[in-house]
Amino acid sequence: MQSLCKFYEMGDQVVKALDSIDLDFGLNDYAAIMGPSGSGKSTLMNIIGCLDTPTSGIYELNGQQVAEMDDDELARIRNREIGFVFQTFNLLPRLNCLRNVELPLIYAGVSPEEREARAREALQRVGLGDRITHKPAELSGGQIQRVAIARALINKPSIILADEPTGNLDTATSHEIMKIFGELSEAGNTIILITHEEDIARYTRRIIRLRDGKIESDKPQ
Amino acid sequence: MNLNYQQFRYETAESLKMALFQIRANKTRSFLTALGVIIGIVAITMMGTAINGIDRGFEKSLAMLGYDVIYVQKSSWSTMGQWWLYRNRPDLKTEYAAQLNRIIADDPRSELSIAVPQMSTYIATAKYRDRNLEQVFSLGTTHDYLQTASGALSAGRFFTPAESAGSEMVCVVGDDIATGLFPNESALGKSIQLKSRKCRIIGTFRKQGKFLGLFSFDNQIIMPLGAFERIYGKNMFITIRVKIKEQSRVEPAKEELLGLMRRIRRIPAGKEADFSINEQKAFKSQLDPIKNGIAVAGIFITGMSLFVGAIGIMNITFVSVKERTREIGLRKALGARRQTILLQFLIESVMICLIGGFVGLVTSLSLTFAIEKIMPDFPVEFSLNLVMASLAVSVLTGIVSGLAPAVTASKLDPADSLRYE
Repeated sequence: MQSLCKFYEMGDQVVKALDSIDLDFGLNDYAAIMGPSGSGKSTLMNIIGCLDTPTSGIYELNGQQVAEMDDDELARIRNREIGFVFQTFNLLPRLNCLRNVELPLIYAGVSPEEREARAREALQRVGLGDRITHKPAELSGGQIQRVAIARALINKPSIILADEPTGNLDTATSHEIMKIFGELSEAGNTIILITHEEDIARYTRRIIRLRDGKIESDKPQ
Repeated sequence: MNLNYQQFRYETAESLKMALFQIRANKTRSFLTALGVIIGIVAITMMGTAINGIDRGFEKSLAMLGYDVIYVQKSSWSTMGQWWLYRNRPDLKTEYAAQLNRIIADDPRSELSIAVPQMSTYIATAKYRDRNLEQVFSLGTTHDYLQTASGALSAGRFFTPAESAGSEMVCVVGDDIATGLFPNESALGKSIQLKSRKCRIIGTFRKQGKFLGLFSFDNQIIMPLGAFERIYGKNMFITIRVKIKEQSRVEPAKEELLGLMRRIRRIPAGKEADFSINEQKAFKSQLDPIKNGIAVAGIFITGMSLFVGAIGIMNITFVSVKERTREIGLRKALGARRQTILLQFLIESVMICLIGGFVGLVTSLSLTFAIEKIMPDFPVEFSLNLVMASLAVSVLTGIVSGLAPAVTASKLDPADSLRYE
């Protein structure tokens, strides 16, 4: 997986949200993208997550040119290659844990039996094997985020992309969640975190700092 | 290909589930939304039912005239009301019937079966002691009359060839006359007064009902031709009733009759016939435009109510899209394609409309049932076509009203919608 250069404009005038970014993520990378608000973190995340395409530049994911894809191809890439974890969890409140976790598999065309088996397995992996029929409202914040992680894992994506995954959680729960990310990394997953908390970023092996749309620093730790 | 199909199947199943979920979660809103469709469908089906009913009442009336009887008369039914067209035509004669019968009997290949003469008047009055019936339809004919008319006797008998030939003062009366003049006793054997003459009742007809609500077959007095002439004179309206052999061969039969009548009346070739050959179809061609007019106006008006309902659904679906922007964003982030989102919202609005359609159908079915119970004479008729049509209309309404909001939803930008509060 290779990302070369991204350049982005928005607003009435040309706002350089991302200005000639060169980045390269390897297999099993565990990186944190950091920076103050307005530094371009969210824009970068949207592009990495294929929610958005760059104005110019090249984004190559597993050898596929993402920048030139249309909406449906992007949807397929998001479905197969990216697992999202959001700050606000974004579970569907009316569905139970199992159905929430299954959702990406529906869009991948997986049969109901296989969907359920895989969703159970993913929930077990995040330690929620006994909560599969609960609805999000019946779970704590930490448990909800673990369901979201299970959902991100379910389609065996190339990248797990977590946008402030601990932003709405207390410190103890945050560390619990980070432990799960640590385990996933050890199991060989590629994880990219976006955060502004130093002690969260410290769990990762690489910290990329952004400022005004440019890379300020990119160091392993 | 196979995978695409599977994906489509699972996505559709999911959308169906979600739509049911959504409708159940917002019961009041769904009901109010469906109300537009319910009212529309009730209006449309009731309209259709009424039109069907008119049709059925009409068919029943035409059946009374008989599908296998054609009528030779001075004027034509298809231009009714334009009497001046026929004023100068010479009168028909009752003898034509006998002449026709002779020709028919000599020709085994004839399409015609029998001709029966009829003289009639609408302005007869029937009296029995102090009871008096006005505007009775009185007609004189031969004993063959029953071969060309519908209706069975409820009591007594029809007059015999001997009575017919002897011009006996006997008559057979319709149900209205029998019950009107003799409310508490049998009419058989009684003599009623027609003008200055007395006429003995030898039979009564079973109740038949009205023809097109205008003319009643129960209001008839039927007697031998000779008796009729003695009472009313010779200058009455004459009809030759002709029964044909094959109901499906009305046209050739009419052609044959036209030729025979021209021969009898000695009309030279190339000259226009001075008589008309009528059949029940003529009424149909007169009434069809009226029926179609009612249908067009009705469908337009009921269509308006459905249109208003559709706008309501569109509105609600737009609100629903707005409310669920984050859900749409999330689904897209998880891999839902445009068409998936489009289909999800479309299925939702179609389902609401279909439920509305079902409720509407049940409502109008029970309304129809109630009307039939309360007013058995009121013509209403429910048909399977109507059910299919209204369900199709419901689906169409759902698609039309759901399309614009669904397209809006499918085009939402996933990154923006995820951030939407």
